[in-house]
Amino acid sequence: MKGLIQGLGVTLKAMTTKKVTYAYPDVPLKMPDRFRGVQHFEPDKCIVCNQCARICPTECITLVGKPNPDPEKKGKVIDTYDINFELCILCDLCTEVCPTEAIVMTNNFELAAYSRDELFKDREWLENNNTNVRQDNNNIGAPQRGGAK
Amino acid sequence: MSEENKREAGRQEETAAAEQQSPPAAEQTEPAAAEQREPANTQEVSGTEPAGAGAEHPNQPQPDTMPEHPDASASDKPAEPAAPAAANADVPSAPAGEAAGAGAVDPEREAKIKAAQEARAKRLAAKAAAEGATAGAVAGAEAVAGAGAGAVDPEREAKIKAAQEARAKRLAAKAAAGGEAAPGDAEPAEPKPPSPKQPWLDEAVELLKSEVHPEAVEEAVINELAGDMPTITVKAEHWRAAAELLKGHGKLGCNYLRNVTGVDYETHMEVVYFVINLETKREYAIKIRTDREQPSVPSAVPVWPSADWPEREIYDLLGVDFPGHPDLRRIMMPDDWVGHPLRKDYVPLDPEV
Amino acid sequence: MIRTEELLLNVGPQHPSTHGVLRIVVKLDGEVITEATPVIGYLHRGTEKLAESLNYTQIIPYTDRMDYVSAMTNNYVLVHAVEKMMGIEVPERAEFLRLIVMELQRIASHLVWWGTYLLDLGALSPFLFAFKEREMIIDLFNELCGARLTYNYMRVGGVKWDAPPGWIDKVRDFVPYMEKQLKEYERLVSGNEIFLARVKGIGKYDAETAIAYGLSGANLRCTGVKWDLRKNEPYSLYDRFEFDVPVGTNGDCYDRYMIRFEEMRQSLRILKQAVEQFPSSGETMGKVPRAIRPPAGETYVRIESPRGEIGCHIVSKGKAEPYRLKFRRPSFMNLQILPKLLVGETMTNLIAILGGVDIVLGEVDC
Repeated sequence: MKGLIQGLGVTLKAMTTKKVTYAYPDVPLKMPDRFRGVQHFEPDKCIVCNQCARICPTECITLVGKPNPDPEKKGKVIDTYDINFELCILCDLCTEVCPTEAIVMTNNFELAAYSRDELFKDREWLENNNTNVRQDNNNIGAPQRGGAK
Repeated sequence: MSEENKREAGRQEETAAAEQQSPPAAEQTEPAAAEQREPANTQEVSGTEPAGAGAEHPNQPQPDTMPEHPDASASDKPAEPAAPAAANADVPSAPAGEAAGAGAVDPEREAKIKAAQEARAKRLAAKAAAEGATAGAVAGAEAVAGAGAGAVDPEREAKIKAAQEARAKRLAAKAAAGGEAAPGDAEPAEPKPPSPKQPWLDEAVELLKSEVHPEAVEEAVINELAGDMPTITVKAEHWRAAAELLKGHGKLGCNYLRNVTGVDYETHMEVVYFVINLETKREYAIKIRTDREQPSVPSAVPVWPSADWPEREIYDLLGVDFPGHPDLRRIMMPDDWVGHPLRKDYVPLDPEV
Repeated sequence: MIRTEELLLNVGPQHPSTHGVLRIVVKLDGEVITEATPVIGYLHRGTEKLAESLNYTQIIPYTDRMDYVSAMTNNYVLVHAVEKMMGIEVPERAEFLRLIVMELQRIASHLVWWGTYLLDLGALSPFLFAFKEREMIIDLFNELCGARLTYNYMRVGGVKWDAPPGWIDKVRDFVPYMEKQLKEYERLVSGNEIFLARVKGIGKYDAETAIAYGLSGANLRCTGVKWDLRKNEPYSLYDRFEFDVPVGTNGDCYDRYMIRFEEMRQSLRILKQAVEQFPSSGETMGKVPRAIRPPAGETYVRIESPRGEIGCHIVSKGKAEPYRLKFRRPSFMNLQILPKLLVGETMTNLIAILGGVDIVLGEVDC
């Protein structure tokens, strides 16, 4: 009996402590800067090196480049860039290897949709997803920082 | 082009070559931004090599094109047809290159040549090891360890070195074909001191040979990559008795079976048991080889009950039969599944998934 | 005469107390179990097969998802195996960071175990207390690497992120707070008569059975065998710190409970020492070649995860992908003793015993 009373004392004391719950959907949840949320893509910075597509463990990135419309400049420009969020595990390996930080993560994590088609995000959507962009990217995988392939 | 080297090297199980050639391969394919390397390879192989190779390797125009010959040849052979063909061009240039390397223009070349010699010697030693001599096996383990240390070599690997490797390899193959091993060249790498676990290995091998069967042990090696783990390959038909010896004998007393792994090499299947004695911390890795068509390894469950589910998993995923197992049925896949998923030649039912 | 029959009951894959999708087919005679057969494979995702086509950095997110409650130790076992094969040296600060996150992860995992175990036994409030503390640890990890459960934090040769400014101080402040909370929880539960009646003397086995069945972690130590890989086969920087390894005597559920509780305290002790000795500067990534290609050969490393001995056996052919990657999962091995242990027990004790083994189905099925 004594043990029970003691335990009850602990529980009752917890009633006096501060509340730790969040009122989530009403109050937006603030994530720390390094949080890995949905990606944000900037087509101007992309050099179509394909590293993100290659490193992706689930192969959810598909991209197509086209030769630069400006005849003076060399290199490719990005034409389409899709991420299939049914497969994306938000592991941020793609941001790690991008040499130009064209793809970065934001702190948004809300991806729930009513149909699977909405989970297939294309270039415009990713370009427009530019709120709460993560500042600290740490691309240790990018070639100029001596990263792995 | 050094893609070819890489594949050959990988097939020859030559770590040194693979390690040193892959960074140059990396540097070459990145600008190409090719997502699939295989088509690029076949193109290069079937197409004309000298143009590309010559542009990339100003120093050695001729020899580097040789390894691009189609790899219809088996793993040990690619250098062989290349060697006689290249012999005419190579022999004057290569020894000249090596001799010149001794008093080379830049001392770096000399170091590279020395490294190539070392690598060649190690490869030969490893080749001798493949014949099955235990002494050779130790040297083979040495080679693996040495190559493991060499793998951390920073990016000094220029394409020149890769080409050097290729030439050295061809020479080595020629030398081996000529019947002379090159023990003299093994001198640059000093022999490593025997591992402190070597007595454990020897004792276990002795006991297995004397108490179980003289032919029970096929091979006994110290696996340096795994922290000097004594690795013994035991024949399948003697495994049950060997297991009882390992558990029951006073000196060995390995009562804790930590892990059972099945590996599908394309030529055979292997089951590896890791056992340890919790008091003396003496541990062994026992490998049992079996053929691929009807793989069968006597079950270790009567000796170590903890082998129960791992063996079921190996049966399920790889198809190895374990006679003597109390309840051998599928564990991960549904009971009515056909096929063994972890095999290398498994074709999934639904490729989309 | 009453005719009795044997009842075949499915403690089905969907069950709140089986800690995942575990199915136990139980033959009952009245209330007493005569035979129990666990059926697993409902969460088999083919990690080992997938790993044969991915290079080592790409496999790290997959290892997170194996034992999802304790993802840092899974990351570590893979990364440690590759580093051992390649002979890469990890800088000290990175190793300290790894050790700190692994010990924090151990506390978080044991909190999950504690909360859910007591929930299975019928106590509803410890679950929420446990998750309140775990939330603090998860927030620390969120600040460190950007994710709450699947961290993808360690890389071959080091760690991905350095600690943000102020993080180490937060860990330092967390330790005394957690110690105080643990005292509270002990007062909450350990004297509780109902709890004691439900776990004392249940699910007993002796040291020989434990060793024969390959148990590890608290399941082995509850019988008196002092075997903890952090002490017996030290890896990382564990030999620099002083900590005890709690060992039980009876081999029953109560001992397992007390051992895990005490392990949390010892983890806090290690954390305190680690935060003191934390190097103020250093690299977070060692010298790693551009393409991670371990030499041909094989290796087997093992570390102590909160559930037991997790091992990683890599067979490599010198390529960027492993030829065969096999994980020795502690929950898989620990679950084998269940059929033997459950014979003669009642259904309520089944839940108590199953909770005491501490399994995570993601790990059982890999």
